[in-house]
Formats: sequence, structure tokens, C-alpha cells
Amino acid sequence: MANFNIDSKKARTYDAIVIGSGISGGWSAKELTEKGLKTLVLERGRDVQHIKDYPTTNMMPWEFAHRERLPKEITDANPIASRCYNFKESSAHFFAKDNEHPYVQEKPFDWIRGYQVGGKSLLWARQTQRWSKYDFEGPARDKFAVEWPIGYDDIAPWYSHVEKFAGITGNKDGIDTLPDGEFLAPHDLNCVEKYFKEQVGKQYKDRHIIIGRAAHITDPQQIHLDQGRAKCQHRVICERGCPFGGYFSSNSSTIPWAMKTGNLTMRPHSVVHSIIYDDKKQKATGVRVIDANTKQMMEFYADIIFVNAAALNSNLVLLNSTSSRFPNGLGNDSGVLGKYVAFHNYRASVSGEYEGFLDSTTDGKRPNSGYIPRFRNVYKQETDFLRGYAAGFGANRNTYSDRNGLGESLKSNLHETKYGNWSVGSHMMGETIPKESNYVALDKDLKDPFGIAQLKISVGYDDNDEKMIKDYVEQVSEMFTNAGFKNVKSHDGNRNPGNDIHEMGGVRMGKDPKTSMLNQWNQLHACKNVFVTDGACMTSTSTQNPSLTYMALSARAVDYAVKQMKAKNL
Amino acid sequence: MERRVALKSMAVAMGAMAGLPAWASGWSKGTLPKGRLLSADQSKNLAAIVEAIIPKTDTPGAGELGVGDFVQKMVKDCYDSKAQASLASGVSNVDEQSIQRFGKSFVDAGKDQKLQILQDIDKGSDASQKAFLGMVKNLTIQGYMTSEYVMTNITHYEMIPGRYHGCVPVKKG
Ligand SMILES: Cc1cc2nc3c(=O)[nH]c(=O)nc-3n(C[C@H](O)[C@H](O)[C@H](O)COP(=O)(O)OP(=O)(O)OC[C@H]3O[C@@H](n4cnc5c(N)ncnc54)[C@H](O)[C@@H]3O)c2cc1C
Ligand code: SF4
Repeated sequence: MANFNIDSKKARTYDAIVIGSGISGGWSAKELTEKGLKTLVLERGRDVQHIKDYPTTNMMPWEFAHRERLPKEITDANPIASRCYNFKESSAHFFAKDNEHPYVQEKPFDWIRGYQVGGKSLLWARQTQRWSKYDFEGPARDKFAVEWPIGYDDIAPWYSHVEKFAGITGNKDGIDTLPDGEFLAPHDLNCVEKYFKEQVGKQYKDRHIIIGRAAHITDPQQIHLDQGRAKCQHRVICERGCPFGGYFSSNSSTIPWAMKTGNLTMRPHSVVHSIIYDDKKQKATGVRVIDANTKQMMEFYADIIFVNAAALNSNLVLLNSTSSRFPNGLGNDSGVLGKYVAFHNYRASVSGEYEGFLDSTTDGKRPNSGYIPRFRNVYKQETDFLRGYAAGFGANRNTYSDRNGLGESLKSNLHETKYGNWSVGSHMMGETIPKESNYVALDKDLKDPFGIAQLKISVGYDDNDEKMIKDYVEQVSEMFTNAGFKNVKSHDGNRNPGNDIHEMGGVRMGKDPKTSMLNQWNQLHACKNVFVTDGACMTSTSTQNPSLTYMALSARAVDYAVKQMKAKNL
Repeated sequence: MERRVALKSMAVAMGAMAGLPAWASGWSKGTLPKGRLLSADQSKNLAAIVEAIIPKTDTPGAGELGVGDFVQKMVKDCYDSKAQASLASGVSNVDEQSIQRFGKSFVDAGKDQKLQILQDIDKGSDASQKAFLGMVKNLTIQGYMTSEYVMTNITHYEMIPGRYHGCVPVKKG
């Protein structure tokens, strides 16, 4: 029997464990396995294999019983997920269901989750803008949060590394607030977007309109073909999973790549409960897992552990990892674990119409849109709020038909489509300030269906956010009006924090172990063989979409971890 | 058409359709689930109403394309109980009007008689009947415009355009 136990422990021992298989976990797994480490990826959800498990990917619009609307039974049971624009008939199976995965909202917070192999990488909108030096220098300059322990130059090579593999389309725009990357051929801006770009360029010296950088393969390179991925076909139904691998997801890219090395073991249905800390060895030795099917607790062991469960779940895992050395959560000597959570503010939008270019329209579909890099408070403090916002911008030409009448007259009206004016629109992407009072913690009483304490989320807007919303509306309305757009209207969607799905922080990086959890290598200051490289590690949020940065940080941290391991420092 | 068939068989080959959650299962005229809101007679009436809203000309009308079933399914699955009650009572009401005015059930009324009844509701002062007609008309337009027939033969839906051009001349009409 004793022998049996030893064997079984051996069978459950790996060189590395990665918790979570989404965007960051997929990258950790790819890099670890490529460097020869036997790696176990633990994923709480079911397996989703590229193409095979995309049930709606080839369905025609008329094949959806409710034409993409969801039955009331489902929206009623999932009020939080239902507030996500992408939760619809063709993609709802990739969202975690509210009632199955409860959490406590001390303040309203829409926690949007994808619990399956691939995580949210199947659902994301694929915008991939690099951060600039101004973003990493922000806290030190503006005196909020703590100083980042790294700068743009530390991460730039890793941006290049992940961009080349993932496949990022974009233009080299030469804007210092939004560094250029390794880009595939850019998507087109359409005539009204180009017109707006010119107008803005003439009227404001530091404001730019560009085509977004997005994780789509516009001209496949050998490295993409080697992954079995092909050119994006502009279907623009990416959230169903793409059979061409036209956009980057863990499922189409990093996970099969890691699998091919022969070093990856993927274990779906494995809900990580906590990380095991060994007091004598003074390091983490493995993780406790609840098998989602049997509800049995089991243990897996490894020399290094990467925590990639997505920002708030990574907080949850660490908070739940208590030991006599760490009674308040793994690595939490500073007491800051779970605190300084921040997010992006997508509340406001501005719309309008343009009466020009009436003899032109667009042809085909574009899985991308225009982008306005941050222009507020970049070089100096110009306003009464801290930091700034980026914005989406897009124009399109819709057709409409007269819906009046009944009978044959209605029928012929419907088939007589006419072009309207161009419509233009923008939405804000504001940086929120990490504050101690925006936190997550374990609920003292409530447990989830696996017997794990529920996460209590207490995150809200503040005065800075309200001022920023006001400024965004004023500035973009002015830019629209100056460009000759008509019928300019602004709208506050009053969405809850979290609905932007860019939640970050709680396990922040920093120079000082007294005020941060992770060092410059995403390594817990107080437990050197545990690395956190998803949104939990972010010291501040910038305005750019965050996932590209999680990819780059993951690859960078693995490189360091493996070197340290080989040097026997872990 | 060719491409569509190819795609469909690709989906089947990949075993894709099999894994569909029940509520996301595909719909076509033949495979509509049977769970209904209306009785068989009321359902026939509804089919006649949608056909009167978008009738057969040199192309099929909404009734023939099964849009009645679509309307019923939408209201049954996606709308609240108030809207469901409005659908049921609205359909009966239309039938009663037909019997009163023309001495026959709505399904059996002539094409012009049917249209007359709906137009009178549209111009009339009965708010609840107007709301009923508005809801059915909107769903009929949606179901018709997104039907396989219209999307393949008339509006030429492209699943895979493979391109985006930001500025092309508007085609003259
Ligand atoms: C509709 C939508 C649009 C978006 N658009 C963009 C965009 O344009 N640009 C951008 O940068 N970002 C975008 N995002 C956000 C992006 O998806 C996330 O930032 C990214 O997926 C985060 O990567 P991650 O690895 O941290 O988490 P995820 O990709 O969510 O993966 C985390 C994984 O961990 C698993 N997990 C969680 N807890 C446990 C546990 N206890 N044990 C085991 N496994 C666990 C989960 O099941 C999941 O598979 C969007 C997201 C959505 C949903
Ligand atoms: S737009 Fe590109 S990536 Fe998205 S589904 Fe289409 S082919 Fe795939």
C-alpha cells in the first residue's frame, strides 16, 4: 500500500502546474512545455477542442430558433451574463452561468466569465493594443497606486514575441502613446473613418484615429500555418469559435501547440481549491483540486506554479490558500491581497450621422474597428481628473427599408432597401484608479457548489470616473461636431463595473514587498515558486485592452522561472 | 446554394450539430419543436395572419415560409406572459371579427377580406389589438427577412465574404 501511495504521488507530480487555460494560462502552458517542462494545466470547466466543440460555428442565421435572441428562461436565470453584449443564442454555451457560479456583490459588479478550456479567449473582441511607457510610468508620475517594477522596455521584446505567434493585424502608426508592434497587414479604415482621421489630424495636434490592432491573421505567416491556422475569412461571428483559426484563441493556438510538444497534460473539470504551502520547504509544493464531476478533493504536485485563473479567480485561489505561515492567503505578508482592484470604464458612448460620402458604402465585413488612443493627461496633467481614456470609433452605412403598410405594399417596401446617412459612433475606455477600498475577499458564510468560499466583490466607480465620463463626452462630441457630423448624441449606459470584462489587480506587482504581492518577474515576493501572470498582477490598468499584456507577461515570467529553476533557485 | 450545402455537411462531418445545447438547436421549417402556445386552430389563424401581412406574390409569402411558427415560438420562449396572452387573445379576436363581418373564419376569408381586417385594426382605436398587430408584424418582418428563402434568394446572405473594402461605390438600384 505504501508503495502504491508513493507511485500515485509520482503520477500526480509534474515540473509545472498552470491554473486556468484561458488567454494567460494558454501562454504559460505553451512557453513551459516548449522549454521542456512536463506541465499540467488544471481547468475548472469542460474541454473545448478547436473546431470539434464549436457547435454553432457554421450555422446560418435562419438556423437559430430565436434569431440570436435568448429564451426568457435563460436570460432570467442569468441576469449578469445577459448584460454582456456577446451573450446570445450562438455563443451562450461559452459563458459561465450565473446560478451555477454564485458570488457576492457587495456593490453591483458584473463578473463575466468563461469556464472551459480556452476561458474567455473564445469570446473576446480581440483588440490588442500595446501599453506605452506612459502607462507603466503612470503611478510613479501621478502618485496613485504603487510604482510599476517594470517599464515599457522590459516588456517590449515580449510583446514582439507573442504578437508574432498570435498574429496581430495593425498599422505602424508611429504614435508614442501606442507603440507599434509586429503587425500583419492592416484592415481598412472606411471612407468616413479616414475623413474623420484627417479632420482630427488638422484640428488637434495630439489626437489620432487609427485602425485597431486585433488578433486576426490577415496574411498568414509560416508560424501561423504551422499552428494549423488559416487566413481570417471576415465572417465576423468569431464568438462561436473560428474553424479557420482566423483569430487567436487558446483553443486554436497555444494549447494545441503545447500539446504537440508531448509535455502537456490538460485536465478539465478540475476546480483548483488552493495552493499547498510546505512550511518546512518554505515553498509551494502543489495544488488541491476538486474534481468537478466527482466532487472529490485531490492533490497535484510541481516545482513551479503559474496562477492564470483570470484576475478575480486568481485572487480567490490565493485568498483560499492558507497555511500557518500564510494565514491570510498565500504570499500575503503585506495584507494587500485582494485590494487595489481596478477595471475599465466603458460607460459612455457618443453617436452621430454624416451626410457626406453618400455615393459610397462598404463591402464585406471587418472584425475590427477604429481606435482613438488616449490623448488626455499624457504629457502633463491637463484636467481635474487623473489619467485618461481611449475610445473606439467606427462608421458604417446601413440600409433601411420602409416598414409601413400591410400586404403586398409592405412586401415590396421591405425589398426596396435604401441607403441612409453614414452613422458614426464611439465608446469610451477609461482607466480607473486602483484603490484600497476597491477589493475582493472571501465571504465568511457563503460557499459555492464545490464548498469553496464565495468571492465577495466590492468595487465601484468614484468621482474621478464621473469627471472622466464628462470629459470624454465633451471631447468626442466636440470632435464629431467639428468634423461636421450631425445629430450628435451622447449616452451613459450606466453599465456596472466589470461589464467591460477588463477587471485587474488584487495581486499587484511592485518594488516593495510591504505594498505589493509580486516582484518584477510576477513572482510572489514571499513564495518564490508561485507566479501570477493574469490580470490580477496589474499595478494599474492603463486604457488599452489588457490581454496582450497578460500574454507578454506570461511568456516573460516563464522564461525567468525556467532559468531560475535550472539554476536551482526555486 | 452549393457553398451552403458544403458548409452544412462540413458542420455535420465535424460532429458539430450533435453537441448543441437544446435551446441553441437549429431551426428550419421541418424541425420546429412542437411545444406551442396556441391551439392547432389558433396556429392556423396565426399562419394566415402572417401571410396576410406578407403575402405570396411571385415569391413565397410569410405563411408558406413557416413564419407563423417562428412568431409563435418567439413569443412563447422570449416574451413575458403578458405578451403571450396578447398573442392568444389577438388571434382569437381577429377570427371573431372575420366571422362577424364575413360569416367565415379568418383562415377561410378572402385575401382582400383578410387584409381589410388587419388594416382596420391598424387604423382603429383598440389599443390592445393594435399592440397585438404591431408585435406580430414586427416578428413577421423579422422571421420573413431572416428566413432561409429570403436570405439565400433575395438578400443573398454571405457567410464568408472573405473581404472588407472600406469605400466602394453605391450600386445603383
Ligand atoms: C465579450 C468579451 C470581449 C472582450 N474583448 C477583449 C478585447 O477586445 N481585448 C482584450 O484585451 N480583452 C478582451 N476581453 C477580455 C479577455 O477575454 C480577458 O482579458 C482574457 O481572457 C483574460 O485572460 P485570463 O487568462 O486571465 O482569463 P480567461 O481567459 O478567462 O481564462 C481563465 C481560465 O481559468 C479557469 N479557472 C478559473 N478559476 C479556476 C479554478 N479555480 N481552477 C481551475 N481553473 C479555473 C477558467 O475556467 C478559465 O478557463 C474580452 C472578454 C469578453 C468576454
Ligand atoms: S472574422 Fe475571421 S476569425 Fe472571426 S470567425 Fe471569421 S474567419 Fe474566423
